[in-house]
Amino acid sequence: MESMIYKKKGPLFLFLVPAFVFIIVYLFYPFIVNIINSFSVIQGLGNLPAGVNAPWYQNYVRLFQDQKFKTALVNTLWMLAGTVVFQVGLALLLSLMVDNIRKGAQFYRTVYFFPIVISAAALGLLFNMMFMMQGGMINQVLAGLGTKAVNWKEKFSIQTMLIPVMWQYVGFYFVIIVTGLNNISEDIYEAAKIDGADGIKRVRYITLPLLFNVLCTCVTLSVTGALKVFDLPWIMFPNGMPVDSTWLTGTYMYYSTFNLGDVDYGSAIAVFIVALGVIIARLANTLLKEKDY
Amino acid sequence: MKKFLAGMLSLTFALGLTAGCSSAPTAESSSPPPAESEQATSDQPAEQSAEQSADQPPDAAQAVTLNVFSTYAGSDGNAPNYQDALAAWQQGTGNKINDTSATADETVKGRIRTDFSAGSEPDVLFYFTGADASSFLDKVLTVDEIRAQYPSYATNMREDTSPKATDGKWYAVPVNGYWENLFVNKKVLDAAGVSLPDAGYTWDQFLIDCQKIKDAGLTPIAASFVDVPHYWWELSIFNNTSPATHNTIPQDINDDAAKAWIAGMNDIKAVYDKGFFPENALSAKDEELQELFFTDQAAFLLDGSWRANTIVTRASDDDEKIDEARLAEFTVVNFPDKGLGRKSTDVIGGMSSGWYITRKAWDDPAKQAAVVDFVTFMSSDEQVSKFAGANSATALQNGVTVDEATLNSLNKEVIAIINAATAFTPAVQDAVSGDARDAMFQAIPQMLTGSVTADQLIGDFIAAFTPA
Repeated sequence: MESMIYKKKGPLFLFLVPAFVFIIVYLFYPFIVNIINSFSVIQGLGNLPAGVNAPWYQNYVRLFQDQKFKTALVNTLWMLAGTVVFQVGLALLLSLMVDNIRKGAQFYRTVYFFPIVISAAALGLLFNMMFMMQGGMINQVLAGLGTKAVNWKEKFSIQTMLIPVMWQYVGFYFVIIVTGLNNISEDIYEAAKIDGADGIKRVRYITLPLLFNVLCTCVTLSVTGALKVFDLPWIMFPNGMPVDSTWLTGTYMYYSTFNLGDVDYGSAIAVFIVALGVIIARLANTLLKEKDY
Repeated sequence: MKKFLAGMLSLTFALGLTAGCSSAPTAESSSPPPAESEQATSDQPAEQSAEQSADQPPDAAQAVTLNVFSTYAGSDGNAPNYQDALAAWQQGTGNKINDTSATADETVKGRIRTDFSAGSEPDVLFYFTGADASSFLDKVLTVDEIRAQYPSYATNMREDTSPKATDGKWYAVPVNGYWENLFVNKKVLDAAGVSLPDAGYTWDQFLIDCQKIKDAGLTPIAASFVDVPHYWWELSIFNNTSPATHNTIPQDINDDAAKAWIAGMNDIKAVYDKGFFPENALSAKDEELQELFFTDQAAFLLDGSWRANTIVTRASDDDEKIDEARLAEFTVVNFPDKGLGRKSTDVIGGMSSGWYITRKAWDDPAKQAAVVDFVTFMSSDEQVSKFAGANSATALQNGVTVDEATLNSLNKEVIAIINAATAFTPAVQDAVSGDARDAMFQAIPQMLTGSVTADQLIGDFIAAFTPA
């Protein structure tokens, strides 16, 4: 009698209904409306569609003719590559090092995780003050060394935009990987040690293979996350400055919709971002199939 | 029993998720929307309510919360006066203000457009009167409509000098006017061996002075083309038009207005190419580059009248005591003229903002009297005198009341410039709808770096522009 609740699925569905309704109302419905909007003529926020574009797919053709969107797409792909190499890569390196120290591991975990809890607005201001040309922290150091001030945000705009984003999320993947490392049994390491595997060999033949599934999750999260990056770049490089060189798909969509009021084109960019996200996530899942050990 | 519990839990969760969607406050609601929560249903005629609101503080049951937006925020020199005025009105009436003021950048203008479109506009707003307001004119009241019920509304203002909307009607009750001119850091000029510009300052002399300042290792002009290209755009075009023709918007790339706009853009590019703007004028925000001016590294700052208050603040200590010696190192001069249609004493300025009352608030019996009272208070002679001070013009019938003994050196120089002005011409950018203007401003950095020409920039604008 006690186990009847597990046999009857009705209550389970009842629990699922609120979340399902919530997702339908706040995710799928807006998304479908957004797809319809991308084929419509909507100028100005809050305005109703004034008919259908001629041809109806006009905004999607425009995407591939728009130089700013091309810049945004290229920068986003750089962001994507950067997240895999630097966010996950650095997180792996740091977690391997922290896993090998006996004292202070908790301290480093807290330190590396800390950027996650700082708001993007605060981080944007922080890095702005570091990279500012007049009176910025880095240029002050350079001035102390007798070197001329560098216009970081113009000469190295992409790098200056990527560094804070990479730095912000390293801690997130660090914590995931450290948790994965903790799940590897000490017995395996001891057995490997008896067999003569130590140092690099231990990492190469024991740690990395056993961490593979965790790394797959991290890579999938990072590549899909890279497509959604918006806040920090928008604060540091508003309006694609300098001279439309730092657009990302997210910032360009926001600018088109909210600054220019080109709502239908902004909707088309949003649809493109979702499509790109789905393709890349599928690709990542296919290439990085989780393994059973 | 378990089924019942499961059902109850699901129901509670579902209600929790949809709680925020409710439009009407419920008894269980811990923090209902302020506008609705504190207002009482009133059967009183609006006239009676207005009289009561103006004469005596309403009791707790009658107090309302008004949603108010203004552009008195951020670095606007009148932001403290605005906050003081809000506090005084709330204290005097017992009503409350839900203030959402923000600096009027293009994002905020978009927000206002959206709020009106979505029906979530504020009850009262201090906002622009030009093309920026044209999208919501049907949702605000004209002064005449309000006077039909409140005859004394805005009677302390001159109608002829009050700003009108794009449909020619008077909606917004103005407070203080504006002007745009060239602020000067005299210390930088001295360091570069440049004389202080006089009333007949010419464009050629300006370029010679900028070269001298640059040669002295200083920055001639503090300006950012990332977020505030407006002033250089406006004055450069003004230099190629005249007070009579400045407010003509190009319709064709070959008309006179288009030629003047193109010439103006090319003037900015010439200054940029000579290296007279900061090296990072395309990659730093305006507030960052203004610091060059305030810290004696840049000589000129082209800005609006509100920047005079910022200069006074920067020359004051923490107790707001002005360091007169420091303040005397700053002044304001006429923007140099090219000797075409505009004289150097012709100034961009006027009144382009004011207090609007929305139909939403007007149609709410609990709020109508309060919004009228609020605007009456904010546009009273006393408040306008405080906001305008000595730095700007007003539409007051009796003019501002300024204690001359309290004027600082910059105030006196501003008064001299205003009194010597041969014309006040409204900014043409206020007559241009937001989207076409934003796209043009956004493309100015591309023009400066040569990836588009001034002709293309103005051609694109003409193609995108739809008259309001």
